Parts: sequence; structure tokens; C-alpha cells
Amino acid sequence: MSGDSSPKAKRVFTEEQIERYSRQLLLPEVGGEGQRKVLAARVLLIGAGGLGSPVGLYLAAAGVGTIGVVDSDRVELSNLQRQVLHATQDLGSEKCLSAKATMEGINPDVRVVPLSIRLRSENILGIIADYDIVVDGSDNFPTRYLVNDACVLAGKPLSHAGILRFDGQVTTVVPGRGPCYRCLYPQPPAPGMVPSCQEAGVLGVTAGVVGCLQATEVIKLILGIGDPLVGRLLLYDGLDMTIRTIRIRRDPACAVCGDSPAITELADYEEFCGLRAAEEIAS
Amino acid sequence: MTDDGNHVTVRLYGPLRQAAGGRDVQLEAGATTVKDALAQLAACKGSRVADMIFDQQGAVWPSLILLVNDEPADLREASSVASGDVISILMPLAGG
Repeated sequence: MSGDSSPKAKRVFTEEQIERYSRQLLLPEVGGEGQRKVLAARVLLIGAGGLGSPVGLYLAAAGVGTIGVVDSDRVELSNLQRQVLHATQDLGSEKCLSAKATMEGINPDVRVVPLSIRLRSENILGIIADYDIVVDGSDNFPTRYLVNDACVLAGKPLSHAGILRFDGQVTTVVPGRGPCYRCLYPQPPAPGMVPSCQEAGVLGVTAGVVGCLQATEVIKLILGIGDPLVGRLLLYDGLDMTIRTIRIRRDPACAVCGDSPAITELADYEEFCGLRAAEEIAS
Repeated sequence: MTDDGNHVTVRLYGPLRQAAGGRDVQLEAGATTVKDALAQLAACKGSRVADMIFDQQGAVWPSLILLVNDEPADLREASSVASGDVISILMPLAGG
């Protein structure tokens, strides 16, 4: 069954769907009406890695009808400690294809759109236009700023998360309703200041916990329930085993969502993040 | 405050925690502003931590989030601190 079918086609659940979704159909916050919203939803995952894996697994299991997966990498052995969408037999495969096979294998109601491309300023707006919600599970600052700015410009809700070692941060950006990633971090850290997971490591479970928080946020946004992390930053600390949230404010001077935004079109984010200059210095 | 228990705690997250070798740093010298506290932290934890807090001009990196008792601190207003306060320093995390 295709996940992008019309609302009319999804009006009546099959026996199999009633059984498959029975545990969430029982929730008053979901019910039949909510499940129809889930089946009709279109969510774009940026990255099929540590965060994208739990998000993809749980959204597919929940019945999100159409899930786009952007990732141009191939599965490597060092991925498998945390990127649970992929298995040993997938080594060398394109991640978005491996993700598609896993997610559609969990739930035939789901259609996964594999996008084996690198997101750029010239292609991102066209891609996110096809989706209701965007999930940032990328692994670098240029992509994170690009995704944030594109979502703000396009008015798309965005679930943001970042992880390192035992730590995670999660927030939800709903343009017009609260702060964006740039309000939180107006500028990226200087090159080399914040190590990547490749450099500093990450516990696989950190990705799992934080990705599950993102999946929860996405389902809440689809259903219009609860209190999403709009205007709040959730801090997960796996060593202390604490989760807390802090209030964050929209910055009226924000370059992309402020009162007089300087950013009205997307540009070169490698340079903004100092990566090009750093590469030139290193070479 | 200048009582005998005067100290401000700086709570570090992410890469800063790793660089400083621990989560909480108690400043015994009695900082009165956030910027004082950051300078004391940098002085006692070495150049790696100092470089992660201050840029070459001595300004706090704009990529840091500073909180005093979980409320955003604004350095332009020279946010004051008192004994018992906890200053949290957050950095963005790129990993995914």
C-alpha cells in the first residue's frame, strides 16, 4: 500500500491496519483520525545515520505514509554501532537505499523516497517543498545552518538535534511560532572547536535516545498534540542520566527569522562555517 | 556576596566538559559577573578551555549559550552573579 495515497483512500482502515496500529489507535490523542493524519504525513529525514535511524524506524513503524531520506553516503562498518537502520549485509550499500529497505520492511504502508544527493543551497528548497516536516539528523554545521535557514524561509517545521559522546540537544523549530536554530546559535563555533563524533566518539545509545525524542516531536507535530519543544532546548546527559529543558527566545536580530532578516536567500554555508578557510589553511 | 561560603559554580556541557575534565567547576574567588566568572574559569582550566570561551579579541564566542540558574545571561548587560549561582555554558553539537 502506498503511503502517499489520497485522504479518500485512507478513509477506511484494513483489518491489518487496525491490528498493526491497535496500540496507538487506543490512545485518545491518536485514534482513527490521528492515524489517518499519520498515514497521510510526509516527513523528510536529513541523514540516515545515528539520529536518522531511530527516527526512521519509529516513524515507519507508526505509519508515516511518506518518508524522504536524504543521504549520499554508503554504509560503513563503523556506522553499525549506532546506525540501526543498516545491517552488516548492507555494507557498501547506499544508506538511503538500505534505509528504504529496512523501513518499508517494517511497514508496507510506508513509502520511502531515497534521495542520494548532497543538500545544497540550490536544491534544498525544491526538496523540502514536498514534505510537511523536516528532521535534521545531519552531522555537520554547514548542513545544519542550511537546513534551518531553508525551513525558516519555506515555513516548514523542523526537528533539530545534535549529539556528541553522551550528550544530546533537541529543539523544534516552527517558523513564526518561536526561535530558530540561528536564534539559539547565531554563529557556528570556530573550526575545530567542537569535535565531530568521528573525532570525539559517541555512544550508540545516545543517538538512539535523542533520535527517539525527535521521532516523538514529529508525531506530536503531525497529530497537533502536546507541547512540542518550540522555544525550548532539551539537554540530554547520558552520564548524569538527566534530561532538562531550558527556555530559548526568538532573537529579534536573528539573521534569518528576525524582524529585519539579512538572509533572504540561501548561500554558501561551508564558508560561513569557516570550513573552506580551514581547508585552505590545512592544505 | 563575601560570606565564607562564597562560590559560583560553572557547569560545562559537551566539548567544554571534556576539555575541562569535569562537569562542575567551583570558583572560589567570588565572581560578581558572568564575564568575571568566565575569565576565572579560563585562568584555572588552561588555554584549551580559554580558547573555547574567548575569541582572539577576548570576546565570548557568540556560538556559546550562557545561562545563570537556567535563565539566559546577556553579557551586554553584564549579568551579575552571586554566591550559590550556577552558570551553565552550552555549545552546539554537530553530530548526528
